[in-house]
Amino acid sequence: MSNLEKYVAAFTSTFLVEESALANLEYQDIAAWDSVGHMSLMAVLEETFGIEMDIDDIIEFSSFEVGRTILAKYNVTME
Amino acid sequence: MAEANKVPIMDIRAIIKHQRNRYPVLLIDKIIDLVPGERATGVKCFTYNEWYFPGHFDDEPNVPGFVQIESLVQTFILTFLCKPEYAGMKTNFVSINNIRFKKKIVPGDVLRIEATLKTFKRGIAMGAAESFVDGEPACSAEFVVAVPDILDQFKPKA
Repeated sequence: MSNLEKYVAAFTSTFLVEESALANLEYQDIAAWDSVGHMSLMAVLEETFGIEMDIDDIIEFSSFEVGRTILAKYNVTME
Repeated sequence: MAEANKVPIMDIRAIIKHQRNRYPVLLIDKIIDLVPGERATGVKCFTYNEWYFPGHFDDEPNVPGFVQIESLVQTFILTFLCKPEYAGMKTNFVSINNIRFKKKIVPGDVLRIEATLKTFKRGIAMGAAESFVDGEPACSAEFVVAVPDILDQFKPKA
């Protein structure tokens, strides 16, 4: 499974959304991505990629697209 | 019955100070063992004067399941709310899993609740609790609990 597939799976499994809805998805666009959902997503991503994210990055992680850029800082690259 | 007489690590005043549940939904009486950030053991003594016994049921009073679950989780949250930096914060359920009811609890019973904190990270606590009456298992469950005041510190910018 590629990093992109793992990243997509983290969102779809945490928020129970279709992959087709992810490209423009932002924090609070859906009920499941609230403050609790955000922490759940961060926990899944940390476990999936074996990383520990800084507080600033967790706060900056405001959308599916922004998240890809943030994860690149942790050497999680997605083609 | 030995639990009822054990000297508390936290008495009811300390419990009220450290967590936000109040009458009629404060459902533990004291904490008799506590390792902050790891585990807590609580005690709840049931008498017929509890508000729910006349309704559950008038001919067969026993402790409702939701009261048992609340007793478990109120002990569980004290594993982290006992710390000065979290004392008095409100908590919300995120999920409850694997609930098991194993024994009918009736007026006169003393419940011993053993709670374990598995992880506490950025305002999300995960763990489990199990209760006993006279050494016999009564109820158990696994919890995920959120602390909104901490979660708010990690919210993405609008």
